[in-house]
Amino acid sequence: MSLDVAQLKEGDELPPLELAPDLGQVIRYCGMAWAFPPFFYDIEAARAQGMPGTIVPGPLKLGLVYRAIHEWLGDAGWVRQVRAAHRRPDITGRPIVVVGNIARLYEEDGADRADLELLVINEDNQPSVRAFAIVEFS
Amino acid sequence: MVDQSLLTDDVRAHIGRTAPRGITRVTPQALLRSSDTYFGKPWEPVPGNGEPVPGIVIAALETESAGLDLPTVMPNSLLISNEWQFERRLRMGEDLEVQSRLADISERFGGRFGQSLYFRTEVEFTEPGSGAVVARTVQTMMQYDAANESRGDDE
Repeated sequence: MSLDVAQLKEGDELPPLELAPDLGQVIRYCGMAWAFPPFFYDIEAARAQGMPGTIVPGPLKLGLVYRAIHEWLGDAGWVRQVRAAHRRPDITGRPIVVVGNIARLYEEDGADRADLELLVINEDNQPSVRAFAIVEFS
Repeated sequence: MVDQSLLTDDVRAHIGRTAPRGITRVTPQALLRSSDTYFGKPWEPVPGNGEPVPGIVIAALETESAGLDLPTVMPNSLLISNEWQFERRLRMGEDLEVQSRLADISERFGGRFGQSLYFRTEVEFTEPGSGAVVARTVQTMMQYDAANESRGDDE
């Protein structure tokens, strides 16, 4: 179902995106980014850092926030900016959910845009990421 | 408790340093790798040459940038934030120049981590020839000493 931009209003919520990034996904991220800190895939290395398990890389969570926006937006526009402030680690394989809402609708440089506020919430209902995005409607 | 600034002239001298400029191309392979990473499946349909591609591809293109050697001032480091910014949509098949830069270093006293240093690095993607900025990734890393960390809510 495509997004009806004309019907959008400030405060509207994005559909929650429920995920559980697993070790395979983390390893795909490491390969793509060519970044291999052992605590991303080696549980002993993660424990040595004081973590209960391997953690989901922060830049991977930025991309998952992007995914939540894209799955809401579809072909109705594109993401101009997305920013993630990392508050807590997320343990690989544990459930997280990306939630968000429209903070502001406005016109700028002749384009219709929206500011979005998003969170990644962990299974203890704590925000692990606070995110912000700007989308531009087609 | 440390109260002397670690942001010395030697550390400040790193601000503005750049890595060698590289070149990258928006390819179906880069889109496949990023889509598989973030969406768990290939991107379909694959955009044709000149067509817009989703911004996630920037994560695969970023690796074409030579890395920066950040000064190691404190023993531990942590990712604080990261960001993707686009001036326009990236297009399949286009070439982009890519360069990393240490944009800023700042210092913080107090809080959960005690004295800490923040390193903001940027990777800029520009059009060859015109030099127009197309996109930018921004990352802020914090260096701290875990021995000074206090437990509690990290909000």
